[in-house]
Amino acid sequence: MKAIESGSLPQIRRALQLIRELDSQYRGRPMHVELLSTFNLEPFLPVLEFALSCIPSQVDMRVGPLNDIEGQITQSRFANSSYGLDARVVVWRLEEALPEVLYPFTCGFPEKVVTRVDQLLERVERLVSLHQRFSAGVPLFISTFSIPVYSANSILAAQQSAGLFGSIALVNRHIYDVASRTDGVYVLDLAFWAALAGKDYADVTLDFLARQPLSAHGQLEFAFFLARNLRPLVVPRRKVLALDLDNTIWGGIIGEDGVDGVVLGHDFPGNIYLRIQRELLELRHQGVLLVIISKNNEADARQAFECLPDMILKWEDFVVRKINWNHKYENLRAAARELGLGLDSFVFIDDSHYECEQMRQFLPEVLILNESSDALQLLRAIWETDAFDSLALSDEDRRRHQDYTVREARSVQAHHGDLQSFLQSLEMEAIIERVEFSNLERVVTLVGKTNQFNLTTRRHSRTQVQAMLESPGTIALALRLRDKFGDQGIVAVLLALCDSDQSTLKVDSFLVSCRALGRGVEDALWAATLERARQQKVRRLEAEYIATAKNAIGAELYDRLGFQRIRQDNGSIYYCLEPIAVPIIPSWIRLGQ
Amino acid sequence: MSAVKDNPLHRLLVEFFELPANTRSEDISQQLLAKWDSLAMVQLITELERRFSIEFDVDEINRLRSYAEIREVLSRKGLVFEDSATLRG
Repeated sequence: MKAIESGSLPQIRRALQLIRELDSQYRGRPMHVELLSTFNLEPFLPVLEFALSCIPSQVDMRVGPLNDIEGQITQSRFANSSYGLDARVVVWRLEEALPEVLYPFTCGFPEKVVTRVDQLLERVERLVSLHQRFSAGVPLFISTFSIPVYSANSILAAQQSAGLFGSIALVNRHIYDVASRTDGVYVLDLAFWAALAGKDYADVTLDFLARQPLSAHGQLEFAFFLARNLRPLVVPRRKVLALDLDNTIWGGIIGEDGVDGVVLGHDFPGNIYLRIQRELLELRHQGVLLVIISKNNEADARQAFECLPDMILKWEDFVVRKINWNHKYENLRAAARELGLGLDSFVFIDDSHYECEQMRQFLPEVLILNESSDALQLLRAIWETDAFDSLALSDEDRRRHQDYTVREARSVQAHHGDLQSFLQSLEMEAIIERVEFSNLERVVTLVGKTNQFNLTTRRHSRTQVQAMLESPGTIALALRLRDKFGDQGIVAVLLALCDSDQSTLKVDSFLVSCRALGRGVEDALWAATLERARQQKVRRLEAEYIATAKNAIGAELYDRLGFQRIRQDNGSIYYCLEPIAVPIIPSWIRLGQ
Repeated sequence: MSAVKDNPLHRLLVEFFELPANTRSEDISQQLLAKWDSLAMVQLITELERRFSIEFDVDEINRLRSYAEIREVLSRKGLVFEDSATLRG
């Protein structure tokens, strides 16, 4: 580790020596690499060997003669022999391959410069076909061109398409094209690396002295970048990312802070969790299976997925969900069994040091991604990990999530019939309250932010609700839910206004908090409303459903409650009910008072 | 002996060329060390730049051929290394 931090050559040589003395079972697979370069890599060969040994691999590295790439390809003794070359890497830079773009006005700008760029594009093609002819089947890495750290008048150079930067962009684009359409040809993106490494990687003195352009720091960065690019050849990517929920994909603890208390959204720090979710979703689309391993009540977790308006990840994005109070290593082991994958396919993210440590001790094969509980550190760990690196994405990778989901769905169906008895077991009691001063605050809050089960999404202010309460004939009810876990508070609201002769009641707002979805509370509240309407001698009920991006869940409520559709326009459906029906209360809810 | 130990330049050169720790400083020179070829020269410059966070001027590059020369160049950059009696042998 010291050698990695310091970049001291004697320390690197010593570390390399120690690695080579290790038993070969700890040193990874043998890897024979040929490096062909237009500049001098010889002085830091030990640094390159050290980085590649850390993959781990038993690296054997050969550096071809300086700036003789094609000559070496046609004559390479390694490539076509029993030596068994595992990768050839071509590293080049403008100073040797296209110096004209550094001095375009000396070199016949623009026509001759354009011609020279075209010749380099052809050279890329020719190099690939030479490689295929002489070293068929050997993976070939071609570097992109980085922008030189030193060049004069870069402001002017940026103004012309045949200038320095335009030419680099054109050549690099061609390299990406060739690699993406040719099997076994990959890009070593030095342009990306140089941007990341910054100016400190260069040493102009050594460049002029020995055509070796990298500082000690740059050598180390370059070597580990090369190693990371070659690594997928010998180390398979991990297939599964198992993750915690609380303080991992949202800030806060859903079971304690509730949907209103957890942080996820476009403001700091919720935007960090949002970004984490985007990265995870991208991984899932790249064939990494996502698994939840969380200590929570499943209902709480599910509620977060259904109610948090900014959730990117969906419940269905996870092929296995272990949300319970078991030890996480037990859950992970069970998930591995269900997926039929080895523990060494798993990566684990959890904000808790305790959980990470326990996982490390019980299942050492699992890779723990994060060192810290900080949200930004979690995100960085996802950005920086090489666990999911791959050089290509197969159709199978892109299909993987679906394949496993189908498997999962089959096993879930068996449990579905249990839902009714599950609801029964919750011992739910609905207490109907009139909306009044004591509960007005909570009612206005729910009116203001309920998105999903909200038939009209009218955001009334406190003053507006108060005005409704004062209007004659108004029925304004709130439903408080109790279950065996305790008082869940007010979870549903209905506001209905009477017309002037008191015979028609019009439902203005009808909403259920997402924390109580799927439990039948809307039926209980509706029953109480009908009861009061009958007492008031209301003859006709009117209601409407106004569609929004989020309230599809309520689209068919009134149909189910026996209303008739009167008309429909722009996503709104107008209903009436006359005469008013007899209320039906779900068997699993007891109406209390 | 403590002077040898405490002299970072001496230690760097001894480690770099894998010499015995008590090598006399006047024995550390390109002339006397077969290992000190042009490749080693490039590596040594990289190592000196890294270790002491410096850059060499063009005319300094050609005056780094022995412990004494390097010590002289570094001293002009404000990096002074004590030469004790032990070091001189």
